[in-house]
Amino acid sequence: MAANQDPELVNKLQQLVETVDITNFLVEPLTRSIARLMEVAAADLGSSEASVLIRDGDQGDLRFLTAIGEVADQLLGMKVPAGKGIAGFVLSSGQPMVVSDVGEEESFYAEVDKATGYSTQMILATPLRFNDEVIGVLEFINRSGPPPWDQFTPDEMDKAAHCAEAIASLVNAYESAKLFRELGDKTLSEPGAVDLAAVREWLAGVRSSAEHREMMDLALLLREIAGRGDAERAMCRDILEAILRFSETKNETSFLG
Amino acid sequence: MTIVTGYETTELETRSTYFELADEWRSATGKGVSVAVIDSGIDITHPDLEGKVSSSVEARVENKKVVFDPVEPGEGLDLVGHGTACAGIISGIAPDAEFHSIRVLGTGGLGDGHAFLAGLEYAVKNRYRIINLSLGTTKPQFFSPLHDLLDRAYLAGCVVVAAANNLPHPSFPSVFSSSLISVVKSEEKDPFKFGFHFGQVIELTAPGVNVRTPWPAGGYRNLTGNSFACPHIAGIIALLLEAYPDLTPFQVKSALYAIARENIDKKKEESPEDE
Repeated sequence: MAANQDPELVNKLQQLVETVDITNFLVEPLTRSIARLMEVAAADLGSSEASVLIRDGDQGDLRFLTAIGEVADQLLGMKVPAGKGIAGFVLSSGQPMVVSDVGEEESFYAEVDKATGYSTQMILATPLRFNDEVIGVLEFINRSGPPPWDQFTPDEMDKAAHCAEAIASLVNAYESAKLFRELGDKTLSEPGAVDLAAVREWLAGVRSSAEHREMMDLALLLREIAGRGDAERAMCRDILEAILRFSETKNETSFLG
Repeated sequence: MTIVTGYETTELETRSTYFELADEWRSATGKGVSVAVIDSGIDITHPDLEGKVSSSVEARVENKKVVFDPVEPGEGLDLVGHGTACAGIISGIAPDAEFHSIRVLGTGGLGDGHAFLAGLEYAVKNRYRIINLSLGTTKPQFFSPLHDLLDRAYLAGCVVVAAANNLPHPSFPSVFSSSLISVVKSEEKDPFKFGFHFGQVIELTAPGVNVRTPWPAGGYRNLTGNSFACPHIAGIIALLLEAYPDLTPFQVKSALYAIARENIDKKKEESPEDE
């Protein structure tokens, strides 16, 4: 391998490997902590089935990030198309809701139940919010023990909302760490110098949340501009400051085309 | 009979109102009152809603602006169920109200608040008398445009009813106390026995716990959330506006508080031990 003759490349590879290890180290405990919090909250709500769904891309799709309960393993990675089911509504409206009788004809849950062999009858779904952004949905399904069950109460909705606050910050940390890890994987697999244009192109196609992706893209752009010289740096700073001034005075009030 | 008195202080003036409401409004049906439901759409084939929806439009983004297209009959009118549930609650109270469905949810990629605001603007431009908003946004960048839109609604005579945030955060628009009516859920079952309480703003309380509602494909569901308290008040307003078509949003609000106060007083008389 060429790396044997090129100490600079060896050094670079080592750095990247370390980065990847660090981010793996970050991502895994986060999902474990989320699951642990869900177990505590579910026990408090007299339920034993709970799941966290996070945005998948920026078109309103969701996917199961982590789940606890009988069919947890089968749910992982499963997707919910935009606007489908209670979770889709909660994501797009930001409003929590309880459904006491999901019913068999509910097409979305019927599909999931068919795949998992589980029977969804009651749902408490609450949005996961971070920095005023709805980043996912926390759901509790059914109660523990055999039915019939008491419906979820308004107090339990409030409890779930508090738990969702803690879970949301962990989910946000998870999303950043995951994107960082993917970036590490990407740059590691590219031979030679890192091509920023190629990395940016790759970033545009990643199904991560828009804010995280845009943030990283901005960082990559700034890095490229900063490397081009004093004049470019000064101009970039002026433009960024102008954007800030614009955004402070902007007051758009018409949304119709 | 309910005696309504109200004072409202704005930056420019103090408005006051005094009038009497005869109890006949309680037997109104919402006839001739237009109600916009800004939500996930309405299933017009549901037996509870058949023939009651006069128009259905859906939001679509074109060149970074939101446009509204008519929903083709037979095309997924409500993929989520939430809008159908809200319209069903209103229609349960005001069966002759005329519904207008403005779908801003469940169309993919539109959950960011822009479609919701555009829906509100669309409803105000069409001067629907009642606008039911069982959704909201917590994004600060929408604070100012929403404030402006609600002022326009108020001046146009549209009564905007919004679900208060179920969560311990302020959400917009329900925190704007002066130009809209915000509603929070209670365990009360009778829609006429609504009340109010003081939170960050004055909120009306209406049934919102385990409410039986129509659901797409002809079914029913039992649902809990402020989303379902809000349409109860929208239904009551439809009755008031049929009986008194000339009420301004300010007068509607004053009337609701006067009725809520009566309801609270009656409850105290009936069960003083609760206090």
